[in-house]
Amino acid sequence: MRLHQLVLATALVAAGSSSVQAEPVPPIDVETALAELGKRMFYDTRLSGDTSLACATCHQPELAFTDGLPLAAAYTGAGHFRNTPTLANVGHRSAWMHDGRLGTNLNDVAREMITETYLMNMDMRVMQERMKQDPVYVAMFKKAGMSEPSNGGARKALMAFMHTIASRGAPYDDGSLSAAAERGQNLFEGKAGCVACHSGPRFTDDKPHNTGVPDNPEIWADPFRHSAFVTYAKFMGVENYMNLREDLGAYVRTHEPETARRFLTPTLRELTFTGPYMHNGVFDTLEEVVDFYNAGGGEDPLKDPRLKPLNLVPSEKADLIAFLTALSGESFDTEAFVWTQDDYDYAPIENWRQVTN
Amino acid sequence: MQRSILLAASLAALLSVPALADNPRPEGLAPLGPPPIPADNPMSAAKVELGKLLFFDPILSGNYAMPCSACHLPDAGWAVQDKISFGYPGTTHWRNSQTIVNAAYYGKLFWAGSSKSLESQARSAARGAVAGNGEDDMMEARLAFVPLYRDLFAEVFGDDWPKINHAYMAIAAFQRTLVQPDTPFDDYMRGDDAALTDQQKRGLELFAGKAGCIACHNGPLLSDQQYHNLGVPPYDGWDDDPLAQITFRFELYAKGSTEVLYRHTKDDPGAYFRAKDKQHMGKFRTPSLRYTAYTYPYMHNGMLESLKDVVEFYNAGGGENEFAATKSPVIKPLGLSDSEVDDLVAFLESLSGEEILIEEPDLPEMEPLPTLQN
Repeated sequence: MRLHQLVLATALVAAGSSSVQAEPVPPIDVETALAELGKRMFYDTRLSGDTSLACATCHQPELAFTDGLPLAAAYTGAGHFRNTPTLANVGHRSAWMHDGRLGTNLNDVAREMITETYLMNMDMRVMQERMKQDPVYVAMFKKAGMSEPSNGGARKALMAFMHTIASRGAPYDDGSLSAAAERGQNLFEGKAGCVACHSGPRFTDDKPHNTGVPDNPEIWADPFRHSAFVTYAKFMGVENYMNLREDLGAYVRTHEPETARRFLTPTLRELTFTGPYMHNGVFDTLEEVVDFYNAGGGEDPLKDPRLKPLNLVPSEKADLIAFLTALSGESFDTEAFVWTQDDYDYAPIENWRQVTN
Repeated sequence: MQRSILLAASLAALLSVPALADNPRPEGLAPLGPPPIPADNPMSAAKVELGKLLFFDPILSGNYAMPCSACHLPDAGWAVQDKISFGYPGTTHWRNSQTIVNAAYYGKLFWAGSSKSLESQARSAARGAVAGNGEDDMMEARLAFVPLYRDLFAEVFGDDWPKINHAYMAIAAFQRTLVQPDTPFDDYMRGDDAALTDQQKRGLELFAGKAGCIACHNGPLLSDQQYHNLGVPPYDGWDDDPLAQITFRFELYAKGSTEVLYRHTKDDPGAYFRAKDKQHMGKFRTPSLRYTAYTYPYMHNGMLESLKDVVEFYNAGGGENEFAATKSPVIKPLGLSDSEVDDLVAFLESLSGEEILIEEPDLPEMEPLPTLQN
């Protein structure tokens, strides 16, 4: 099979064309007014309990909606134990969170992020009443066809905004790959075998795999991160959570030992914006990531058997990185994705005793 | 130390035999004895010490910044000297913060009696969205990262790892030491005729007689622990404070309202929320009158500023709110003269002793957790 692919790839290269037709990420239809509402909410710190965090605190538009940190920030008094994933094309995912524990839709993901105690720690009933106290939200909910601000409407709006976050302008999609990137693509689909998991227009199978990514000791050295991890592991019903010193990944939803330390394949789009890499941010650069796979991944008794040393020479590694880099498009730090008005304010409801709540 | 003094005081109170007094003491009132201790949460010095730490430790809140003491400040009467309590950051509260002092004697806690014990009150306060906004699993996880707490929870409760419910039990035990059974009133009731001034004695007579306060403010706690609507006017912050309007609607929503109630209510339905029975609309638990010298302003929403304002409120026959149908029929104009009002206020002042202040503990911090603990 592998040999057959290689032969095919070689043949196509010889013919002077890219081995696989570039597949852009298809757009998702959204209701503009709803997405616009979601955009305003995305940048609003009043969606967190103590009004210190917005979605955009960790999902920053100029970093393709990541934060540039190995391990994410978290709610006041907590720390996170995972790397912030990009939201580029997030509406196409079939599972969310590095362990894949959310498998429904972005409406549920939004709720999880907003209410989770170590993330935004928001009682959504307070959030609803906050939105009702902001005349801009009251008008925007109406414009989006909803009678008044509500939790369900807010989550729908956040989902709509996230559906607008689509990659665009990557050399890969434009057909403007450099010669090095084209060689890299052949390696990606051939000798390096990346495509086995990084498949499709988003370059992910949305499935969990154990690649032997090393532990990030910072989680266990920081009691704020570690205590958030304990909270998570306990909630997910992981036995012996107090003595655990490893992130068990997809195991938390299966409780089947062979699934330990499997993490969802991440998208490879917008990589130039989204370092550090891996579920726990242990690699700072794409060079480190490629070296990691070239060495056959990390050490783990449950490692996916398909991971073997790749024997890439330095020029091949450079070509592969050229291809990976060509999967990044234009910045999301534009009007289309950023709420630029500084208009987050409450207004007293006039004539309060006379109007309905 | 504080505790031993207080316990000694209550013990002395129990043992002392009222001397022959010049005035008969009014029936229905009594000096304060020792607080009830629940059989499933016995007191110990170590438990109280742990509870004291936890009372002041912001580890028991969502943002690691809102300990019990944030809204029960020792130097503010173990309450908040403002109409309504501070809320969690980004919010405000909707009711007056009640003092911790003598809370040990109440059968039910919170203004509407929604908690059945100090233990469950502590849990509700630590978790409430406009109070501590903490989550039990997270707070419990944090406790395990504090070496001192690992030791103390093991010593006091035998925990392998600190259990959050035990934290609430320890806090309740600490609160049961914050009692004041030795006010001038208590001394007087135990037979010391000189403990009250003549004016205070006149006030006591009014309290038990013409003013009728004793109808509800009776027993050693000076509370019948029942629920009444006096017509206290609604909190005025709801008229113009956006945060207060947010919290008001949140409370209606969170406590469980019908659509009609949520849309149209403009005042705190109080005890209604417990049984959702309209005859309890706008009723609040009679508060103890003890320690009130330090716990101004007064009433469930702090709408009355001084004890004199409170007495004048009752002298006028209470007030008006939207729950007129449930207003207590006991509340009628009293016809007290100015000097009688002053006498009554003077008596109320005898229900507070010295201010209870303590040295706040140095708090331990979370540290990395060594492997292979326990």
